[in-house]
Amino acid sequence: MSEFAKEEKIKAGLEAKFPGVVTNASVQRKNRVWAEAATEKLPEVLEWLKAEGFIYLSTITGFDEGENFGAFYHLSGHGMVASIKVKTPKTNPALPSVLPVFPVATSYERELEDMFGIKVQGLPPGRRYPLPDDFPTDQYPLRKDWTDANLPAWDAPAKEAK
Amino acid sequence: MKIIDKIITSSLLKSPWILHFNSGACNGCDIEIVDALTPRYDIERFGIVLKATPRHADVLVVSGPVTRQQAKRLKTIYEQMPDPKFVMAVGACGCSGGVFQGCYSVVPGVHNIIPVSVYVPGCPVRPEAIIDGVVKMIKSVEDASK
Amino acid sequence: MSKITIPLGPQHPALKEPENFMLVLEGEQITGATVNLGYNHRGMEKVAESRTYIQNLYLIERVCGICSHSHTTTYITNVEELAKAEVPQRALAIRTLIAELERVHSHLLWLGVAGYEMGYETLFMYTWRDREQVLDCLELLSGNRVHYSINTIGGVRRDITAEQKAAVLKRIKYLEERTQYYIKIATQETTLLARTMNVAKLPPDIAVKYGAVGPTARASGIKIDVRKDEPYLIYDKLDFKMITHDTCDVFGRVVVRALELVESYKMINQILNNLPEGPIAVKIPMKLAPGEAVNHYEAPRGEDIHYLKSNGTDKPERLKVRAPTMANLQSVAYMMEGGWLADVPLAIAAIDPCMSCTDRAVVWDAKKGKKTTYAWEDLRKLGIEHYRKRGVDFTKL
Repeated sequence: MSEFAKEEKIKAGLEAKFPGVVTNASVQRKNRVWAEAATEKLPEVLEWLKAEGFIYLSTITGFDEGENFGAFYHLSGHGMVASIKVKTPKTNPALPSVLPVFPVATSYERELEDMFGIKVQGLPPGRRYPLPDDFPTDQYPLRKDWTDANLPAWDAPAKEAK
Repeated sequence: MKIIDKIITSSLLKSPWILHFNSGACNGCDIEIVDALTPRYDIERFGIVLKATPRHADVLVVSGPVTRQQAKRLKTIYEQMPDPKFVMAVGACGCSGGVFQGCYSVVPGVHNIIPVSVYVPGCPVRPEAIIDGVVKMIKSVEDASK
Repeated sequence: MSKITIPLGPQHPALKEPENFMLVLEGEQITGATVNLGYNHRGMEKVAESRTYIQNLYLIERVCGICSHSHTTTYITNVEELAKAEVPQRALAIRTLIAELERVHSHLLWLGVAGYEMGYETLFMYTWRDREQVLDCLELLSGNRVHYSINTIGGVRRDITAEQKAAVLKRIKYLEERTQYYIKIATQETTLLARTMNVAKLPPDIAVKYGAVGPTARASGIKIDVRKDEPYLIYDKLDFKMITHDTCDVFGRVVVRALELVESYKMINQILNNLPEGPIAVKIPMKLAPGEAVNHYEAPRGEDIHYLKSNGTDKPERLKVRAPTMANLQSVAYMMEGGWLADVPLAIAAIDPCMSCTDRAVVWDAKKGKKTTYAWEDLRKLGIEHYRKRGVDFTKL
């Protein structure tokens, strides 16, 4: 019996339930499962994990990696953390919203939009977060190629929001 | 000095009323400022009172590196304070942006927004240093009015 | 009944933290609430990518002054995991000691703030006076009252001497007695009970749905605590209880925090009396091999979770911080709806909001209809007055 029995069970379950959709599933160490998922199936994968006991969406980490943007969805439950990675091309970055599965996702998804410019489909309109109201709406600070060189001074008159 | 100025200055010297403004701080300085009210340091025995509105305050105590979102508010609050007024920039962040220098969402240091009378360094600033800052500020007002 | 929209903030109870809540009122009852965040956004995650791992240690500490140790420990655990380092037991024990001391100072701080919000100023003064004992301990052990920076990459920065151990134990003994008094007040003082019972109710299924963590969730009976679910540092060797309560209201949150103080004192005694021998740090190279790590920690407010990606250099590729208040804020809007305006300050204070951890943006929105601006202080006074008219008067205490 492997010492990572419960982790292996989750990994095996993911692979069995979502063949071809979930790739690179691994048990990194005790209590840590990582996997990649096809973007369009993300809500279903998270729904399955939630039913398996990962009842908390702890946070969503956006990233900028080469030709893609993407995000990790970190779910916790049973003392374990399952991190599901999805990618989306920089030419047209978009991810499906996971609000139906985890209502708490609102702010984390707004952060993806504000900081990376990833369009989250299904996210209802609302106040931006976390950037200040007068921050330009076409600048995305966490992108690797962004610098503050083009940021207007703090007291410059705000441009028309898009 | 006119009589009214003498009265205003003397009441400020005897009992400065402060307004505390958090311009995006990590709270370290803020809890030490509030701590100055509590029994061990007890600034109220010096006549220093914490007020909730700028219109009643003599001294604006600002903590935090001044985030972009707070910068306009800080300016507005300063403008709402009646003269004579003083500003105390508290903590390494208030003095220069501290560890947040270089962050895009920070205007590093209170003096970039409003004129500062006293800088109190520390990360976070100790309650004794806050009291010291207020005392030094009062002394400089006293000296200037002579 | 006219609908009034009240932008509340940006002022936090006693600590003047920037945040904003939009409340829709009918008369004195709240029919809608939204939480809007953000005055504290500083842009740390971006700047962390251009600083070395050791520089980031001091940056991450300043995510929040009240729970700075939570953030550095979670961060450093990620770094050490990526470096595949074996941190000495003595260092882990000292980290746990500081962690529990931090929990004590944070809960006492919160008890004072909650008291202040109710109008119970004596409680505020007492708890903050007693809290000075904890700050003395922290200063003795680390050199600073706040932002102790006890962590370094590979272990801790300072060791504990026998004299320091004795001094800390003596202060903890004093605090144990004082805490019994606070527990008595929290559970028996009728004025306090009147302000906290059945206020800001959060049923367990809603708590899970909206991702509540920490004492906020445990007061609704949810058994989650990272120290028990995934014991980190030396929590697997310590004997302590997870405190839950089933009233799902502000009273429950007061009781959970007060009883957690007792558990923390137990742990502090256990750690100090059983400190393992050995070195306090191991050396770790400046550059970390590429990898990813995610770790969480039970901060005084709940689960604090960090993600770190390394890329072979001495600077991180990506650093993500999600502090517990972020998880709890979603529940606050639910808790306020259907309640009285007078209960709002306490409802918000009860989740122990640490906005600087959450570092988010705020709103000045003029909705249609009547707009009234209440400063926090006004609302706090309104709450106290509302209850005084109904016989709940703390000034007699």
